[in-house]
Order: sequence, then structure tokens, then C-alpha cells
Amino acid sequence: MFPILSVTLFAPLLGAILIMVIPREDEKTIQRVGIAFAFLTILLTAFIWVGVAQEGADVMQFQEQYPWIPAFNVTYHLGADGLSAPLLFLTALLTTLSLFYSAYTIKDRVKEYFFLFLLLQMGMFGVFMALDLVLFYVFWEIGLVPMFLLIGVWGGKRRLYAAIKFFLFTLVGSVFMLLAIIGVYFQTGTFSIPEVAEFVATQQPLFAAVPGIATAAFWAFFIAFAIKVPSFPFHTWLPDAHTEAPTAGSVILAGILLKLGAYGLIRITLPFFPDQFNYFSTTVPIIPIMAVMSIVYGALVCMAQWDLKRLIAYSSVAHMGYVTLGLAAAAAGVGMFGEDIYLNAAASGINGAAFQMFAHGIITGGLFFLVGIIYERAHTRDLKAFGGLGSQVPYYYGVMLVTGFASLGLPGLAGFWSEFFVFRGTVRFIPVAAFISVLGVVFTAAYILWKIVQYVFLGELDKEKWGTLTDMEWWEKVTMWPLIVTMLFLGFYPTPLLDMFNAATTALLNNLR
Amino acid sequence: MDFGDTTLTLGQTIGLLSPEILLLFAGLLILALDAILPQEEERDWLPQVALLGLVVALVATFLLWGWNTPVLAVLSCDPFALMVKVIVLVAMGLVVLSSDVYIRVNSRYQGEFYAMLLFATLTICLLGATTNLIMLFLAFDFLSIVSYILTGYLRDDTRSTEAAIKYFLYGATISAVMLYGLSWFYGLTGSTDLSSIAAVLKGAGYIDGDGVVRNMLQPVVLPALVMMAAGFAFKIGAVPFHQWAPDAYEGAPTPVTAFLSVCPKVAGFAVILRVLLTGLPLDLRVLSMDWRTLLMAISVLTMTFGNLVALWQQNIKRLLAYSSIAQAGYILIGVVSASERGTTAVLLYLAAYALTNLGAFAVIIAFSNKTGSDDIEDYAGLSQRAPGLALIMIICLLSLGGIPPTAGFVGKLWLFSAAIEKGLIQLAAIGVINSVISLAYYWKIMRAMYFTPAQTDEHISTSPALAVALGVAVVGVFVVGLFPAPLLGLLQTAAQTFFAG
Repeated sequence: MFPILSVTLFAPLLGAILIMVIPREDEKTIQRVGIAFAFLTILLTAFIWVGVAQEGADVMQFQEQYPWIPAFNVTYHLGADGLSAPLLFLTALLTTLSLFYSAYTIKDRVKEYFFLFLLLQMGMFGVFMALDLVLFYVFWEIGLVPMFLLIGVWGGKRRLYAAIKFFLFTLVGSVFMLLAIIGVYFQTGTFSIPEVAEFVATQQPLFAAVPGIATAAFWAFFIAFAIKVPSFPFHTWLPDAHTEAPTAGSVILAGILLKLGAYGLIRITLPFFPDQFNYFSTTVPIIPIMAVMSIVYGALVCMAQWDLKRLIAYSSVAHMGYVTLGLAAAAAGVGMFGEDIYLNAAASGINGAAFQMFAHGIITGGLFFLVGIIYERAHTRDLKAFGGLGSQVPYYYGVMLVTGFASLGLPGLAGFWSEFFVFRGTVRFIPVAAFISVLGVVFTAAYILWKIVQYVFLGELDKEKWGTLTDMEWWEKVTMWPLIVTMLFLGFYPTPLLDMFNAATTALLNNLR
Repeated sequence: MDFGDTTLTLGQTIGLLSPEILLLFAGLLILALDAILPQEEERDWLPQVALLGLVVALVATFLLWGWNTPVLAVLSCDPFALMVKVIVLVAMGLVVLSSDVYIRVNSRYQGEFYAMLLFATLTICLLGATTNLIMLFLAFDFLSIVSYILTGYLRDDTRSTEAAIKYFLYGATISAVMLYGLSWFYGLTGSTDLSSIAAVLKGAGYIDGDGVVRNMLQPVVLPALVMMAAGFAFKIGAVPFHQWAPDAYEGAPTPVTAFLSVCPKVAGFAVILRVLLTGLPLDLRVLSMDWRTLLMAISVLTMTFGNLVALWQQNIKRLLAYSSIAQAGYILIGVVSASERGTTAVLLYLAAYALTNLGAFAVIIAFSNKTGSDDIEDYAGLSQRAPGLALIMIICLLSLGGIPPTAGFVGKLWLFSAAIEKGLIQLAAIGVINSVISLAYYWKIMRAMYFTPAQTDEHISTSPALAVALGVAVVGVFVVGLFPAPLLGLLQTAAQTFFAG
């Protein structure tokens, strides 16, 4: 069988190596090679998506497994199911758009930039494909270094601080996860993610003999992922990193890196530790509180921002809160899945969370592009400095309106479905959290309409200051259109994506009965 | 001639000792050539001769793979000893390659330098194989003396001389203490052979009223053990016997610093493993707890202290000195685990550490050959002045910090898993916290190289020998990081030396 996952995984690496041998003066070739390889991965991941959909999204497809470190039973094991295939496609799409956009905006150290970006893409692919815990961890960390350098070298004024903060936050979380991974191995004798999940589903919970260890291992996994999501109170690295990163870096950070954390929660934490996840979602509801705080507090902080990029950064905290909330809802139902009504509600929570991962990637990726576009021209992101741009840059205004509406969850656009499904699941299991979180939806509408639309586009235009502002260039339109089309398409016809997620989710929940 | 109680022929004995004999002859040959060759330029070939000696010894070592027998009653030719030889021979090869230009420029005496390096290699090979306390002490002290000479090799440089004196005074004292401790073992057991010592200690055990196995020698074994451990801790640079390291590292010629940071540690850990695992069997509770508790405390102190002090260093050699102290702390985790996995982990981490640290030092040597500076500040803008060097340095630093896909990650994976397997979760947790702390000071070097503008645009070139060393190190770091399986197979066989049956 054609090893399509390995090919997809290492295509960016091949591109990066090719870029390394191109002379640094030849920037055009470097850019073309980088974009070509990224575009190739779009085709490959689209093929994976179709293949998984046809073969059955509820089980791992295209699996490849070879011994890697036999002495420790570590294998090179890849696979894709209904959850990972769309995320792989999202990764490929956003990386390609980012590189395309960067070809026109990054003038400094082009060679290193494209090299690191492709390396980063490989790391992200690896996390979504890995079915071996050690392999997962390796890719998890591989992505860290390129992103660190992208922020540190091409970022804004406080880039060094932001870069090292990003690096250390993620690392601190993940090293404890490594210990937990090793612990899981000694318990089950395998590093295989499906096999451990199977062990938990059919034999006994992990560390059943020592509840203290089980709880510690649960938190080790949970916090490593929660830092990446990021969930309140582990979110403080995010505003700095997003604000200081170069535009394309912010797009990838918000669009994909945050999803790595959410993906880990669904793929690893929930199936490995259903009882602990349940306990901390119901009896001691720490996780729902974290989610609700992320949503409400994140949205409130957005209202107080005057830096457009920082505002969107905080909006990611709020939006990713829905992912955590959906998962907490599903976890709260563990043990009740015998009845269809509960099973459906829990599936709805996870589907909403997964849909939010995809939709948020598209929408917030778009928002960060739009911030970059205006910053390139105005050299400021201060909301108070703008006003009345609607008449000066109507095309930009239109694109921003659609993206902004998608972000606040307007029906007909992608963001609506994720919130709808998350709330549908949450109301069933943790109604209080759902009621409080609805406030977040209101606040989101408030900061999008009031802060962004009103302050930037409405009101009096300062002719002297902004009279020369030009509207979007063709390459900027080319960057934005695929995102807009996806938002509209998913808004009206979410079924293809939802079916993928639902198949994977149902399989997951059936294991937790 | 008495060959002990084995049935080896003279030829076999010589064959089993061939790596050591070859090293000895290579060292003597270099001394002779140094005296005979009339022209200064002709002596520039001496590093190649030294390298050849190491390679031939390495080949001989591989040919011996599979043997497991005592030799001359004081040495052992077993997989463990052979793997220690492999690690140290490769490491010394890198040291010789890195020394080339530095020694030619800074010292008039090339021959003695390489001869000393080969003699040091010889002693470490012996230390990896010794099963007898007297042999252990002789090789141990020989290694110390060679190290003092190498540290003070730049006779006209006051810092080098000062470093050697400090190192010597400290080392001589510790040697005396250790010898005293070893003599206690002889006095208690009537033997200097490790397995005989173990047998006697075991025979002194009895079961007390509560059914606990106790040992009537317990009160006197404790001080002997502490004195012996002091000597070992000195060699590996573990707290509280680490104070010589920063001064010696800073003052010594940089290639010698590279040597000091790796080779004595390999020797020290080899001896620790063999003495503790064969001489003090675990089922015997020598102390009220056992020796692992003592080492666990040293491990925690060593890694934490080394990392915290390293945070404040401005000189790159001093920074790596403290870093190497911390690294010794990690490796002790594997010793404390006292298992087959732990022993494998120690050897694996030593191999990974040797490649990584020598790679980093090769960059430092290349840099100081050109600029004469070891200040981290002067590394500003290295990514533009020498992109290759800066990249290799980053890779090595990430490997020291344990970031995949490097050798350092695989090493740490093994160390921590050895600890977790034995339920030492707290120790593993302290280890990972320290790994994160260590990245904070490795970051200082990265920041200078990549994020601070260069003072000059002057390009930094690398000599061919150094380039080879850099290449071998960085390829090794990735090969061990990505495809550790073949090496691990060998190391597991080595570890089984102590855990068979």
C-alpha cells in the first residue's frame, strides 16, 4: 500500500532540505519551492480526507507501523481517522496560505523563514498522525523550536520575551507528560495510543492500584494540553506570543498549534483517563470552571483591548474555551452512555469541540491575516487611531465583516455550528456552565461589533491620516478567499466535516460505555 | 607467570588486552617520533598518528566483542568494559580532532600532549575493566595525574597553571581519602577483589528478630563506602566534590576542557557501576537503607546545584562546567535505579553526552581559535558570522537540554524511564524540572548567537580537522536521536554483564 501518511509527513521536510541547498540570494526560488511543497500537502491531505471518509472515519486508516526502538517497544506508528484527517487538511491549507502571504511580506532572512516554516509543518502533521506516545511526544516538541525561532527572529518589539515565554510554558507542561507517558508504558506494556485506549476500555483503568498516581498522571496529560489550548489559567503566554509573532506565525499559532492541545485532550486524555476526567468535570468541577473562565474572562479582556492583534489573541482564549467546555460536557456523561439520549449529547459536545477546532482555525487565521494586512499599511494596530475606514477600503471592510461575523457565531457561517453543538451537549450535563458561557457569546458580539467594526470602519474618516490607505492587493485577496469560502460553505453545509468528526467521536464514546 | 585461575593462553591474554596495549604503544610511538623528528612542521602529523592509534584500538575492541572472561585476575573483558572502551575511544577521537590547531598555535610541545591523551584513554579503558581495588586505584590515580598535566599544559598561561594547581591539590587529597576508604574494604574482607568482597559482605549477613536481613559489618562499611564514594564523586564532578570543576574548566586549554568534561565522567561512572553492582550486592542491606539512598541525595543536589549556578555564568567554558556538573546529576539517576535499564541508560546517556558536549566544545574551540574569547557576549551574531557553527551549537544545546529528535532526548528518556520503572517518580520529576531550568541558560548562548547583532562581519573559518569533529558529533547526535536501536542493542548486552541470571 502506498504510504501516503509518511509521504505527507515528510514532504515538508524534503522541501526544507531543498531550500537549504538553494543559495540564499535566490529568494524567488526559495519562495516557490516552499509554496509548492506546502501546496502539494494540500492535495495529499485532501486525498487522505477522501480516503478516510470512504474507508470509514471511525477507525484508523492508512496505518503504518514499523519498530523504531524495539528495546522499549517504541514504534513508528501513523494513522488518520475522522478526527485527524480534517485537522491535517487544515494544517496544510493554513501553512500554504501563510507561506503564500509571507512571500509578499517577509523580506528578511527568507531562506531561514521558509525552512523553519516547513519544519514546523512537519511537526504539526506528526502530532496529528502519531499513534505512538513517544512519537507523538517527539513531534510535539519538534514543532516547538521552529515556532520559537519564528517568533524570536521575525516578531515584533518584545519578540524575545514572547518567544522564550512560549517555549518554556509549553516545555514545562510537556516534560511532566513525558513522565506520565513512561508511567503508562510500565502499566500497559505499550506506547500505542489505540492499544492503551483499548486497555482502559476492556481491562482496567490506568494505575487502578494507586489512585494518587492516576490523578497525577491525568493532570500531567491534562495540563500539558491545557497549556497549549490554552485554557485559563494557563493562557498567559498566548497574548504575548500571538501579538509579537509575525502575521503568518500568529496564523499558525492560532490556527493549528492551539489545536494540537485540544487534539491531545480528545485523542489521549479522555480515552486514557475517563474516570478522572469525569470526576473533575462533575464532582470537583475544575475543568468546566476553567472552560467557563476562559470563555467569559477571555471575552471580557477582549473588550478592554485597544491593540487589534492583542484583542484577537484574547478572543482565541475565549473561543478555545468552547472546546474545553464541549469535552468537559462529554466527560461529565461518562458512565451514562448506555442511554442514547446521553450518548448523543456527549457526542454533540465533542463534535462541537472538534468543529470549533476547525472553524476557529479558519476564522481566527483569517482575522490574523486581516490584522497583518492593515498593519502593513498603517503601521499601527491601535483601535483609537482608526475610524471611518469603511469608505476608504470597502473590500477590506467586507472581508473583515464576514470573518468577524463568523467569529461571533452568526448562523450561516462556520462558527455558528461549533457553539450550537457545544451548548447542546453542555446543557444536558452541566447546564450551569452552559448558561454562564452564553454570556461569552454576547460579549463576543459586543467586541466584534463595537471594538472592531465601529472603531475601525465606522465614524468620521481622518482624510489627512488615512486618505492614502490602499485597499487589499491581489495576493491578499487570494490569501483570504479560500478562508471566506470555507466559512460560508461550512456555515451552510457542515455535514461533510461533521460526519467525519461524528464517526470518530462515536467510536471514542462507545469505548467509554 | 600467573594468569589467575583462568585457562587463557598467553596469546589470548595479549589479545584480550590488545586495545590497551595498542594505546600504550601509540602513546610511546608519539613520544619517540616527537624526539626523532627534526623539523617542527613534521610534528604536525602527530595528531594523525594519535588518531590512527585510537582507530586501531577501536577496531581491536570490536573484534573482542563477545568475550566475557577475567583477565590476569584484576581485569575483566566483558561487554560492559568493551562498551566503555568504545565510548571513550570515540570521545577521545573527537578530542584529538578538536585539539589540532589550538595546540599547534598555543603550545610548542605537541608530542607530549597527544601522548598524554592516549595514556588517559588507556587508563579509562582499564578503569572500565577493573575488578580489583588496587588496579582501580592505580588507574584512577594515573588518570588524575595525566589530567593535572593536561590542565596545566599552557605553561606560560597563569590561568592554566592556576587551574592545574587547584585541580591537583583537590585531587590529591581526594585520592588519599579514597585510598584510605579502599583499605578499609581490604581490612574488613581480606580481599581486594570485588566479587570476593561481595561474598564476604554477604556472608556477614544475619536475620534479626524482626525478620530483617542485617549485616554485622554494617557500622564499619558505612565510612568505607562514604570515603570511596568521595573519590568517585570527585571524578564525575558531583556535589559536594565538584568545586575543582569550574576553575579547572575555565583555566585549562579548551581542548583539555572538552576532555575533562567528558572522559573522567565516563571513567567515573564505569567504576561506580561496576563497584556498586558487583561489589555491594543489592540484596544485602549494607546500610540501614542502602547505597542508593546516598546516591539519590547526591544526584538531586548535583543536578539542582549545577543548573542553578549555571544560570549566572558569563564565560561559556564556566557555564558548560556547571552544565556538566548538572549532567552528572542526571546520569546518577540511572545508577540509583540499579537495574539493567538503569545501567543501559547510564551508558546511553554517556555516549549521547560525549557526542553532544564534544560537539559544543568543538564550536567553542573554532570560535576561540579565531577570536581568542570565551565570553558569551562575544558570541553575538555568530549566526551571521558562521551560520554552520551557530546551527551546530544550537543542535548540541538542544540535545543537552533533552529536546527531540536528538541523542540527549533518547538518553533522558531512558534515564527517566529507569527511575519510573523502580518507582522513583520524585527523582524523575526533579530531573525533568532541572531539564527545563537548564534550557534557560542554554538559551543565553542561543540568544547571543541568533538574536544579538554582530559586532564585526568577520567570517569565522574552521580547520579541516575541526570540521570533521563537528560533523561526526552532529551526525552522531542525530543518528543516536533518530535511530537509537542498534546502539541500544549493544548497550543492553553491556548492561546484562551485571544482571545476567
